[in-house]
Parts: sequence; structure tokens; C-alpha cells
Amino acid sequence: MDKAETEAIRDVLAGDRDAYRVLMDRHFCSVTRVAFRITGNEADAEEAAQEAFLRAYNKLPSFRRDSTFSTWIMRITMNTAINLVERRKRDLSYHAPRIADEPSTADHTVRIADGKAGPEDSLLNREAVSLRQAAMAELTPMERTAFTLRHMEDVPMAEIAAALNITSNSAKQAVFRAVSKLRRSLTPIAGGLR
Amino acid sequence: MKHFSEEELIAYQLHESSDEGPISRHLESCSECADLSESIAETLRVFSADPVPQPDLEHNWQRLRGNLGALTPERSRGFNLLRWGWAWPATGLAAAALMLLTVFGLYLHRSGQTRHNVAVNGHGPLTIEPADPAIANHLDAAERLLTEVNNSSGTLDDTTRAQAHNLLLQNAVYVRNARDSGDLAGAAVLENFGRVLTTLDNEPPTPHSTLRLRLEMNTSGLLLDIRILRQNDDHSQGVSQ
Repeated sequence: MDKAETEAIRDVLAGDRDAYRVLMDRHFCSVTRVAFRITGNEADAEEAAQEAFLRAYNKLPSFRRDSTFSTWIMRITMNTAINLVERRKRDLSYHAPRIADEPSTADHTVRIADGKAGPEDSLLNREAVSLRQAAMAELTPMERTAFTLRHMEDVPMAEIAAALNITSNSAKQAVFRAVSKLRRSLTPIAGGLR
Repeated sequence: MKHFSEEELIAYQLHESSDEGPISRHLESCSECADLSESIAETLRVFSADPVPQPDLEHNWQRLRGNLGALTPERSRGFNLLRWGWAWPATGLAAAALMLLTVFGLYLHRSGQTRHNVAVNGHGPLTIEPADPAIANHLDAAERLLTEVNNSSGTLDDTTRAQAHNLLLQNAVYVRNARDSGDLAGAAVLENFGRVLTTLDNEPPTPHSTLRLRLEMNTSGLLLDIRILRQNDDHSQGVSQ
């Protein structure tokens, strides 16, 4: 951990809340990125990142500094994002954003990007996206986390295992299970997958 | 000719395999494995990284700052012991009271009186029907919770305890499902897990409660059982697909 971060932590612990901005400026983007991979949408990713930073702040007095702040916050983020995904699955009152011609924050509606593609391409793209989303939704939060971090973010297996608090072998198995499930989910489409 | 399994080929495609050379040579001569390997590669291409939206840092900082209270460093244990040295006599008295209560409890137990079961009748509903009927999520969550229990040196944090409470509410349903489907071994493992959850949910957290739980309920062994259940469930899902 570099000097600026060590000083920021010391200042926060001395009661200077604004010093936490240094840590947030450095890590918020990477934290939101990981949260986005796990939750699959921007709103939940920001909520998980906010919650992770708040939890880290409140736990800062017990931060032992035997790991770096970035490893520590990433671990908190993964757990927070996984919990959020599990909460969403449980919460039957949760409604995903609906599609509308005019997007509105109040009504939780969004508009699908049109792009330059023709109607046929656009339809195929939407179908592909929705198939991918459906396949990802079949994964457990742990499988999704391990898979997206390994495959999309190129995080080493040992780091994923440490962050998820599981053994390296369990992390590997979670990734393998995820790939296997995704492959089976895609079997009926594209003709290329068997 | 020895073929490679799907798992081995996934590891190969993710560059996690220790047999890259032999697999690569085998794929040149075996069309069956080459097809499977290409199918895995295609899956990985389909799920390649989408762009991630950039968060608005200023907006997020303003939102977060409103929730931050002023902090003070955690005092060291030694300092506390010195400062609260007068508390030793009180601790002694509390320990004596606890022993008396234990003796009284044993007396009640032996005289055959029915005890009020706090673990069962403590609070909240006994079970809730899980939104997700598949057990995979439950077993994943169980594995993470037990790993946390096995690796924690002090008390568990509030989030983990809240997770334990939620898992407890759902566990009984999975036990019943396992029993109904004739999976008695699975039901027994989940029942043992339920006991751990009940203890976590009802006992007040103390510096040694997690260690005691590990020793008394063999949570390491239970974690292994849960992993085996997870693997069996995974295999049965694979067979059904």
C-alpha cells in the first residue's frame, strides 16, 4: 500500500471523513466494474459499490493492513454484490426496469438503444443479448462471480478464491461449472454449439 | 484412445490446465474432443467482456459522504484490559452466576421438566418458501457461510449473521424436499447444517463463540459434506440436461 493511501487511512481514523475521498477516487471505478460483472446492471453495481465503500469505512478501525486496501475493498465488494444478487432473487417485489419509448427514472423505465443496424439485425442482437442474460441468470451468484472475474476481468484464480473466501479448487470448480452450464444453455442456438 | 473430459477441456481453454501440451496434441488427432473444445471456445467468445459503464465519481462521493460518521482508531486489547482492570471481580461474579445457572439448568433437565426451546420458538417464522426451488444457490451460500465460520477468528459480523438467519428460514424446506425425494443422506447433511444455523441465529456472539461452534459441530466436516452434495446436485443437473 502506498504512502498516500496509508496517510488517507490514518487521517480518516483521526476523524477526517474527507480523507476517504482519496481511497474512493483510486478504487471506486474498479470496484464498480467488478460489481457490474456480478450484478449485471449499472444501478445495482453502483448500489453494491456504495454499500461496499460504506462497509469498508465502518470497518476501517479493524483493517489490519496485512493486505492492501484494494484487495480488502474488492473482497468486501464481491460479497456485497453477491448478497445483493441473492437479495434480488428473494425479493419478489423487485421489478426489473421496463422498456418504454421515453425513459423515466421515476417509473423505472429504460429505452433500448436503436443503433444503426437494420430491424432484422437489431432483432437478432436483442435476441442474442436476452439469451445471454437468461443463460447468466441460470448461474448461482458464486458461479457468476467466479466466471466473470476469471474470464472477463482476467483475475487470477487465487485472488478470486481469496476474495470469495473459498479454496482455489472450489473457485476453479465454480468457473468450470459456469462454463459448462453456459455452453448447455447455448446449445439450441447458433448451430455451432454442440 | 483416451479422450479428455469437458472439465479438462474447459481448463485448457481458460489456460488453467497443467496438460496443455498433451491436450493440444490430442485435439489435432481426435475430432470428437476437438468439436467439444471448439464448442467451449465458442461459448467463451459469446460471453466475452461487454463494456462497463463509467460511474459518476462526484455524484457517488456526495451520496456516500452523507452516510459517513467520524471514526476513531480501535483501541488495543492490552490498553482495554489495563483500563478496565476493575472489571475482573465483576467477571468473576458473572462466572459464578453462570455456573449456578448451569447447575440449576441441569437439575431441571434431570427432573424431566420441559424446557422452553428458544432455538425453535425464539423469533420470526420457522421457514419461508424459497423463491428458487433449485438447491444449488442454497448450497453455494451454505459453503460460503461455513467457510466464513471456519476461517473467522473472532465474532461473525452482522451481515454474516443476517445471512445465517435467512438460510435458516429456508433450510427446513430443503430438508423436507430432500426427505420427500428419498435423499436421506442429503436431508441429514442439511439437518446438521440447520443446527449450525440455529446456534448462529440464537446464541449471542462472544469472542469464542465461532471457535466453539467449529469444535462442537465439526463445521469443517460439514463443509466437506455440503461440497459433496453440491457436486452430486451438479452431476444430476448435468444428467438431466
